Amino acid sequence: MSDAVSIDVRVRADAPIPLDVALAAGPRDVAAVFGPSGAGKTTLLRTIAGLHRQATGRIVCRGVTWLDTDRGVCLPPHERRLGFVAQDYGLFPHLDALHHVAIALGHLPRDQRRAEAARLLALVHLESSASRRPASLSGGEQQRLAIARAIARNPHVLLLDEPFAAVDRATRRALQDELDALRHRLDMPIVLVTHDFEDVIRLASHVTLLERGHVVAAGAVGEITSRVDLPWLAAAAGRGSVFTASVDRVDERRKLADLRFDGGTLIVPAGSLTSGRYVRVRVPAREIILATSRPEGLSLHNILEGRVSGLESDERSGVVIVQIAVGETHLLAEVTGDAVDRLAIAIGRPILALIKSVAIEVG
Amino acid sequence: MDWTALGVSLRLAAGTLAILLPLAIALGRVLAYRRFRGRSILEAVVALPLVLPPTVLGFYLLISFGARSVVGQAFAAIAGHSLAFSFQGLLLASLIANLPFTVQPIQRAFEAIPTNVRDAAACCGLTPWRAFRAIELPLAWPGLVTAAVLAFAHTLGEFGVVLMIGGSLPGQTRTISIAIYDRLQAFDEHAAGVMAATLLAIALGALVITQTLARRVGRSSE
Amino acid sequence: MRPAARIIGAILLTLSVVVVARAQTRTTIAAASDLQFALKEVEAAFEADGHPAVDLVFGSSGTLAKQIQDGAPFEVFMSADESYVQTLVTAGLTKDGGVLYAVGRVVVFAPTGSPLQPDPELKNLAALLAKGGVTRFAIANPEHAPYGRAAEAVLRKRGLWDRLQPMLVLGENITQAAQFATTGNAVGGIIAYSLVLSPALKDRGTFALLPESDHAPLRQRMVRLKKAGAAADAFYAFVQSAKARPILTKYGFALPGQ
Repeated sequence: MSDAVSIDVRVRADAPIPLDVALAAGPRDVAAVFGPSGAGKTTLLRTIAGLHRQATGRIVCRGVTWLDTDRGVCLPPHERRLGFVAQDYGLFPHLDALHHVAIALGHLPRDQRRAEAARLLALVHLESSASRRPASLSGGEQQRLAIARAIARNPHVLLLDEPFAAVDRATRRALQDELDALRHRLDMPIVLVTHDFEDVIRLASHVTLLERGHVVAAGAVGEITSRVDLPWLAAAAGRGSVFTASVDRVDERRKLADLRFDGGTLIVPAGSLTSGRYVRVRVPAREIILATSRPEGLSLHNILEGRVSGLESDERSGVVIVQIAVGETHLLAEVTGDAVDRLAIAIGRPILALIKSVAIEVG
Repeated sequence: MDWTALGVSLRLAAGTLAILLPLAIALGRVLAYRRFRGRSILEAVVALPLVLPPTVLGFYLLISFGARSVVGQAFAAIAGHSLAFSFQGLLLASLIANLPFTVQPIQRAFEAIPTNVRDAAACCGLTPWRAFRAIELPLAWPGLVTAAVLAFAHTLGEFGVVLMIGGSLPGQTRTISIAIYDRLQAFDEHAAGVMAATLLAIALGALVITQTLARRVGRSSE
Repeated sequence: MRPAARIIGAILLTLSVVVVARAQTRTTIAAASDLQFALKEVEAAFEADGHPAVDLVFGSSGTLAKQIQDGAPFEVFMSADESYVQTLVTAGLTKDGGVLYAVGRVVVFAPTGSPLQPDPELKNLAALLAKGGVTRFAIANPEHAPYGRAAEAVLRKRGLWDRLQPMLVLGENITQAAQFATTGNAVGGIIAYSLVLSPALKDRGTFALLPESDHAPLRQRMVRLKKAGAAADAFYAFVQSAKARPILTKYGFALPGQ
């Protein structure tokens, strides 16, 4: 968690939807709220936006109190400096793209609005659609327009509700990339609600796990994904630690790339990676083979040295989750209880993690 | 053709619209967007003139505003003439009779605006007034025109109430529908026929407009 | 704002201003419906005599009297009887007790093509009734129209009232009764003498004058209301003057003093 907190949320509600959430995000965080349908994610987001007013608590954003039930403060949405993109976007059917953005630029003098609106449309690659209405835009274009409109007034936080739910897989990847690129240019936290863990993997810096309105766990993505407990998350998203790495070197001849992370280097198929890029890496727990001695004659490219830092038995499935500290990063491996016994795996013991290069998910 | 009578009818319709439309917009919007106790009762009261026979309305207006009532006498003291049997009395009756014709289409039009559109407007930083002017009003526009056209046509055709509290005073309360009645009783069928045909044409025109608009609303929400 | 909105707004604004500006009101005379044609001629003569025009409103005497009680701004009330005038005098709404201006008569009328043959003793009507040949018969509503009361009196005198009851159509006033009598399925009706003498009805059928002894006399009284102005006074006087009397006589009214 970064030191500066841009938005601090602490809300409770009993009805109609139960809620008991504390959430905070710093200036460049992407705070994902992950949970199944009915968990209260959208309610939480709408509470932050001021659209849902049945919750009590406190919301402070960049020093401005948006909600403080004790002091009787509850700002209406238009007085909160936020950008909000609902699941079905809520675009204005009667306005063309340019006016969509211009109408949110009320803080600018009239003559500057057109130019600024055009600039924002270009930012989301919609400059050629400036005079088209929402009905004639594709799903992906509509979403980009909704985002352009949301960021028009330089909000202090951007709220996205299942932003990729309505688009197909291919468009989703493209939009995720765009959003990722966008957030590096904006200096605001993004609170992203989703039921698809892929969004979390690809975009989030922090994640809050929400179930029936309650927080199951919250923290940095790398830390949450490498915890040995949380069977809940395992059931929902599978196990596998997520961390960031930079592309060190691309070997054109062998078609391999080196990914340097906080604990070593991983070798992966080069794909379309270019040197110098930052990527998100996920190592599925099932893909890690543990060894106590360095093997020979295997096709493996990745043999990482680490130390066992956690052990947890999953009663239901009968596997044991082993947490391995590799440098500052923690990996999770799923092995049988039998394997644990045979290799005498225990906390503190050194261990080798063997990972197939093709098993590593790079995004 | 009794041009004076047509003039009275047109003035009555225009006056009704000028006063009732802003009122109906405010009331329709409240009924569309706010939940409060007594909302159903209010909707029922608004719809009442639809099912009430005009004679019932005329009866209660006579009792409330006739020269023998408290209100009627107060009005006469201030205005110098009675409220019943005056243009102002007709206007008042017309406002009441047209309430459902204006409020209901406008309420439906506001209800048809998706909630997420209104939410988005608020989250764009638009104050409620700006959201109303820039987003809600343009989207509810066909409903507004429907309300105006319906009320206009209905006022032109209003007969029962006018008969009871109008007195058929030329230039004041003799509307074109009353004039038709009068001409018939004077065995002037030609004049009655001309005026009836005129009203029929206006009514048809009003229906065509509302139908066209209804289709436009349907298309724009696709 | 869109151009269409501007135009509509401008129209509404203009019209609403027009609404506020009141139309000129002329002196209004409330008259019983039997005077429908006669009084128009009198009014024309009144104007020809150099007076400003007045507006005429016709209806049944009872309805008009009620409207006056409810505040209708009529300045002269010409009833088809005396009792309704008396009601207004008692209520203190008149300048004085008014004056008798005419005595009316009723006729039995049958439109062209009707099986009914009008005769003063209604013998043909009785015969038609016995045969079952009467579909509908029109009179004015006796509740508030003096000519309707007279019709009822005549029918009772001839012993036809009870049997005719299910076939009666009641006109809201005597001209509406005349309407019913001349159109549609009515075999005829008892309507005002003054109406059948008018050009509009003269050629529409046949009639027979009913004896005055068969009903209470239709003594028609008129009165000026409290608010009556100079024009009203002038018209009130004109109706009683020598210039108006021939017109009333032409329409079958007997005049006071004859």
